[in-house]
Amino acid sequence: MTDKQILPSGHPRIDSLEMRGIVKRFPGVLANDHVNFDVRAGEVHALLGENGAGKSTLMKQLYGLYHPDEGQIIFDGEPRVIHSPKDAIQLGIGMIHQHFMLVDSLTVAENVALGLPSTRGMMTDIDRVTKRICELAEVYGLDVEPDAYIWQLSVGQQQKVEIIKALYRGAALLILDEPTAVLTPQEVDDFFVTLTQMAKDGHALIFISHKLHEVMAFTHRVTVLRDGKNVGTVNTVDTNKNLLAEMMVGRPLNFIRNYKTIECGKPRLKVENLSALSDRGVPALKNVSFEVCAGEVLGLAGVSGNGQPELAQVIAGLRPSTSGKIMIDDETLTGSTPMQVIEKGVAYIPEKRNVDGLIKEFSVSENLILRDLDREFYSKNAFLNMNNIAKRSADLVKTFNVKTPSIDTPIKSLSGGNAQKVILAREISRQPRVLIAAQPTRGVDIGATEYIHERIIEQRETGTATLLISEDLDEIFALSDRIAVIFHGEIMGVVDRKDATLQSIGLMMAGEQPPETQAAE
Amino acid sequence: MKRFGKLVIFLVMVAMLSTACATATPAAPAESAGPFRVAVVTPSAINDLAFSQSIYDAMVKIQGEMGEANFQFVLSDGMFVVDDAAAAIRDYASQGYNLVIAHGSQYGAALQEIAPDFPNVSFAWGTAGDTFGIPNVFAYEAFSQEGGYVNGVLAAALNESGTIGVVGPVEVGDAKLYVDGFVAGVKATNPDITVNVNYIGSFGDVALASEAAQTHIGAGADVMTGSAQMVVGAVGVAKEKGVLWFGTQADQTSLAPEIVVACQIYDWAVVVRDIISLIQEGTLGGKAYAVSLQNEGLKMIYNPGFNLPADVKALGDAATKGIIDGTVTIGVGGK
Amino acid sequence: MLADLFTGSVLIGLLASGIRLATPYLYAAIGETFGQRSGVLNLGVDGIMLMGAFSAFYVVFKTGDLVGGVLLAMLVGLLMGLAMAFISVTLNAEQGISGIGVYLFGLGMSDLLFQKLINNVQTVSGFPVAPIPFLSEIPVIGQIFFTHNVLVYGAYLLVPIAWFVLNKTTLGLKIKAVGENPEAADTLGVSVAKIRYLTVSMGGLLSGVAGASLSIALLNVFQFNLTNGLGFIAIALVYFGGWRPTWVLMGSLIFSFVNALQIWVQVVGIPIPSDIAVMTPYILTIVVLVISAQRVRPPSALSKTYERLE
Ligand SMILES: Nc1ncnc2c1ncn2[C@@H]1O[C@H](COP(=O)(O)OP(=O)(O)OP(=O)(O)O)[C@@H](O)[C@H]1O
Ligand SMILES: [Mg+2]
Repeated sequence: MTDKQILPSGHPRIDSLEMRGIVKRFPGVLANDHVNFDVRAGEVHALLGENGAGKSTLMKQLYGLYHPDEGQIIFDGEPRVIHSPKDAIQLGIGMIHQHFMLVDSLTVAENVALGLPSTRGMMTDIDRVTKRICELAEVYGLDVEPDAYIWQLSVGQQQKVEIIKALYRGAALLILDEPTAVLTPQEVDDFFVTLTQMAKDGHALIFISHKLHEVMAFTHRVTVLRDGKNVGTVNTVDTNKNLLAEMMVGRPLNFIRNYKTIECGKPRLKVENLSALSDRGVPALKNVSFEVCAGEVLGLAGVSGNGQPELAQVIAGLRPSTSGKIMIDDETLTGSTPMQVIEKGVAYIPEKRNVDGLIKEFSVSENLILRDLDREFYSKNAFLNMNNIAKRSADLVKTFNVKTPSIDTPIKSLSGGNAQKVILAREISRQPRVLIAAQPTRGVDIGATEYIHERIIEQRETGTATLLISEDLDEIFALSDRIAVIFHGEIMGVVDRKDATLQSIGLMMAGEQPPETQAAE
Repeated sequence: MKRFGKLVIFLVMVAMLSTACATATPAAPAESAGPFRVAVVTPSAINDLAFSQSIYDAMVKIQGEMGEANFQFVLSDGMFVVDDAAAAIRDYASQGYNLVIAHGSQYGAALQEIAPDFPNVSFAWGTAGDTFGIPNVFAYEAFSQEGGYVNGVLAAALNESGTIGVVGPVEVGDAKLYVDGFVAGVKATNPDITVNVNYIGSFGDVALASEAAQTHIGAGADVMTGSAQMVVGAVGVAKEKGVLWFGTQADQTSLAPEIVVACQIYDWAVVVRDIISLIQEGTLGGKAYAVSLQNEGLKMIYNPGFNLPADVKALGDAATKGIIDGTVTIGVGGK
Repeated sequence: MLADLFTGSVLIGLLASGIRLATPYLYAAIGETFGQRSGVLNLGVDGIMLMGAFSAFYVVFKTGDLVGGVLLAMLVGLLMGLAMAFISVTLNAEQGISGIGVYLFGLGMSDLLFQKLINNVQTVSGFPVAPIPFLSEIPVIGQIFFTHNVLVYGAYLLVPIAWFVLNKTTLGLKIKAVGENPEAADTLGVSVAKIRYLTVSMGGLLSGVAGASLSIALLNVFQFNLTNGLGFIAIALVYFGGWRPTWVLMGSLIFSFVNALQIWVQVVGIPIPSDIAVMTPYILTIVVLVISAQRVRPPSALSKTYERLE
C-alpha cells in the first residue's frame, strides 16, 4: 500500500476495480446477468441503461448492500468479498445513492461523522469534523455550512453533503447513482467541476445518469446495461448520443417530434393572485397569476425551491392557499379537497413521487388504480372488479414499459425509474381536463422520457390544459406553447416559446425582470 | 413479515396463560351435577388484603362448611379491565355455573347486558344495591360505614396529635361510606380532632397511596386509615413511620403487626349462604343484600399483637353494640 | 387553612414528595426515550417494570439483599428488553403488538410468580433514606433534594447521563440516525439491528430498575399489578417530552409535583372535588409539555421495522 499514491482526501488511490461475471437474482427478476465491469483511477466511467436495467443493483453489490449470487469483485488485482457497507468504506469505496441517505434532523457535520470512530473515544469530535469538512470543501469547491441542519438545505446542497460524506471517509472510488437527476442546470455545472477535479486527483468515479449530454460531456468511458446484461463498454470519444441511445434501448430513438400548432381554446385553468405558505410557514407563493388554455402546455421554469411544489400542491388541493383563486372552466377550485379536485378532472404528477404519489407497500396494480377506485369499471358496490383491474394494469404496464416481475409486485422492489413510470401511467392515462406535471421525466430513462413527452403532446392535442413544471429547460422548450418563470414564489413573466431564448429564460430564473414584458398580471 | 404475526400471537397467549394460571384457584368444577358451582370475577388480586380477598375468603369458608363435594368455585382475579371481566362473566355463565359473582361495582353495566342472555344462571354483583329488576340478578353491599364508625371511635381515643389521616381510593360507593363513617366516629368521640381526607383517584395506585400517607404524616397525623387494595402503600409508610393504622375489607394485621390496631372485615359468606339456599329453592335473583355488624357480615377484628388499652377497647365494643341495637346513629347512608 | 399550604415545612415536604414520586417515571421514561430515539416503540414497559418489581422484591424478601434485588431486577429487565428487541428487530414483528405482548406477559408472569413464591401481600424493609453528607445539611434544599434513598438519586443522575449520551457521543449520533433514517445509517456501516438491540435492552434494564424502585425503595411491598399502568404514563411522558431527556425530566417533575400538590390540597381540606383534583396532574403535564415542547417531530422511523431489501 505504501507505494500507492495518496489522494487529497487521505486515502490511497484504487488503481483498478473489476467486477467479473456478476449475477444477482431477485424473486422473478434476473437483475444482473454475468456482468463484467471495470473502473480505473482517474476516470469517470458512465453506467447507462434503461430503468430497471440493473445499474443500482450492480453498484449496491460493490458497496456491500447486496451480495452477488455469482461472480467476483477484484480490487487492485486481488479478489475481495464485500460483506457490508462498512467493508466497502474501509476499502475506499463511497456511494451516493439514488435517494439521498441523510438524516434530516442532524447537522451536516453530524451526518458526516456518523458511524466513524472519533478521536475523542466515545465522545463525538464535531469540532474536528467541522474543520476537516471545511478543508475538503475548499479543495473541491463544495461550499456547505457544517452546522446547518440537513432539512434546511436545498437538494443541491444536500448532494454536496453526500459527496463530502464520501470524501471524508476517504473514498478513492465514488459511485454516483443518478446524482444529477435532482440538480438544477447551474448546480449540474458546479457538480461537474467538482467531479472532474476529483478524477484528475486520481479518484475513480462511476456515474449513473439518464442524460446523455452529461455522459458525453464529461465521462471517459461508458458501459451500457440492458436487461441486466452488459451490452458493451466504449470510450466516450468514440461514440455519440444516438449510438448510446440505441445501445440502451435496442432501437433508434425519435428525438425530433412533429409539433402541431393548434388554436388555443378558452382559458381552462385560471390562477389569480394565489398566495400560500411553505411547510415552514413562510410565504412560498406570492400573488401568482396565470392562465392555461385548453390544448395548451404552459411550461413553468424555475430553479428548484422557488415555490413550484407548493403551487402544484395548492392546485391539487393538498395545501391550503392564504389568498387568491383557482378556477377550472368557471368552476372554483379553491378550497376543494383532493378528491373534489380529482373529480373535476385534474391529474397530478407530484414531484416527490415516492412520498406523495405511491404507496410503497402496495402492488403495482393497486397503485395504478388508486385514484379511480370509485369508477364503476374497477369496483361496484364496494367490491373490486379484479378482472378489470388486472387487465387494465397489465395494459398500462405494457404501454409504459414498466419493468416488473408481475403486476402484484410491491412498488418498493421496483427500480427507481420504474416506480416513477407507475405513477406517470396512472395520471396520464386518465384523460384529464387539466394535467399538472411536476418534473415528469426526472429519473426516467430516455425511452420512457420520449414516451411521456409524446403523451403530453397527445393530451395537448385532445384539449387538455397542461401545466408542466420542470427544471429541465430542454424539456420546457420542447413541449411548451408558452413559458412562465417562477422566482421566489413570484411569476417573473410569461413569454411565448417562439420569443423565448435560453438566455432570456435563464435570466428570469435568476430573478431579473424580462426587459420588454412586464411581470404577468 | 406477516409470518411473525404468529409468534406475537403465541407470545400473547403465553401471557394470557400465565395470567390464567395465576388466577384459576384450585377446586375445579366437577363434571357431575352434584356440587353447587360458583364462579367469581374480581378486579384485583385475591390476596390484596382488601376487597377481592374478602370474597375469596368467603368462598373458602363456605367450601369448608359445605364440603368440597358439595361446593366448588373458580375465580378469575385481576380483571381490572372491565371488558376482560365481561368476557369472563359470559364464559362462566355459558359453562353452566349455578352462580356467577361479579365482584365489583364497575361490572354492573356488563352484567345488565349479560344476565338476560342466561336466564337459567344466577348472577350476583356488588357492592351495589340494585338488581336492575332482572329476575336472575342478586345484589349485595356492605354497610361499611358501621365498621368505619367503630374504627373512628377507636382512632379518636388513641390519637394524640389532634390530626388523623384518611387515604381513600375513589370518592364513591363502599369506600366513601367507610370514610364518612370513620369521620363520624372520630367526631362523635372528639370533635376537636382534625380528620384530613384525600382520595387518590385510583384503586390500584400504590405509589400515590404511599405518597398520600407521607403527606398525612407530614400534616401531623399519628393515626391513619384507608380503603381499597392500594392502601398497602399507605400501610407500608405507616409502619415505617410508626403511625397507627385501622383497616377495612380484610384483616391487614399481617402487613404490619406493630401498628395495625383493628380492622373491619367483610364476611360475604352470610350473603352467599342465603343466595345458595334461594337458588336451591328455585329463586334465581331479585334480592338485594347488605352485610352489617348486626347480621355478622361485618366484623370487627382486633390485632391481638397490639397492646390496646382496655378502656379504649371498651369504647369500641360499646360503639359496635350501639350500632347493632340501634342506639348509635352514624348519620351516614341511612344508619 | 390556605396559609397551611405555604408554611415552610409543608412546602419542603411537598417538594420532596414530588422528587420521590418522579423516580420510577424517570427510570422508565429515560429508558424508553433511548428505544424510541432509535425507532423502537416498546409498549411493554409496564410489564417489564412489574417483573423488575417482583424480582427485586423477591430477593429482598428472601435474603434482605437490596443490591442483589436491584441487580436481579436489572437482569430480568435486560432479558425482557432483549426479548422485545428480538421480536421487533430480528423478527420484524409489528412493534405495537409485540409491546402489548410483553406487557401482558409481565403482568401475568409477575403475578404467577408472586402467587407461587410469596402468595400474600408482605412488606420488606427497602432502601433506607440515605442523606448525602454535607449537602443534606443545607437548609431547605438539603431536605428537598438530598434526603432520599439511593434509587431516587440514581434516577436523577440518569438524566444528565442520558442527555450526554444522546448529544455528545458517537453512540448517541448512531441512535438518533437509526431512529430517523435507518437506511442512511445502514449505508454508513452503522448496524441498525445492533443499535436497536442495545437501546431496547437498556430500556428494559432501566424499566427493571423502575420496578425495583417501587417495590424495594419507595413502597416496599409487592402486589398484583403494583405499577398500575405507571409504565404507560412513562411512555406518554416520553412522547410529550419530545424525546429529549431534559424535557422528559421536566414532564416527570411536573406530573409528580402536581400530584403531590393535589394530595396536599385534599389533605388540608381545600374544597376541590377529588375527581377534579386527581385529574390535574395529567391535564397540567400535557398542557405544559405540549405548549413548551412546541413542534417536535417524533423520530421519523419510530415504530417502523427496518429490513434491507435483498
Ligand atoms: N430489493 C429488490 N427486490 C426485488 N427486486 C428488485 C430489488 N431491487 C431491484 N429489483 C429489481 O431488479 C431490477 C433492476 O433494478 P435496479 O434498481 O438495479 O435498476 P436501475 O438500472 O437502477 O434502474 P433505474 O434507472 O430505474 O434506477 C428491476 O427489475 C427491479 O425491479
Ligand atoms: Mg437505479
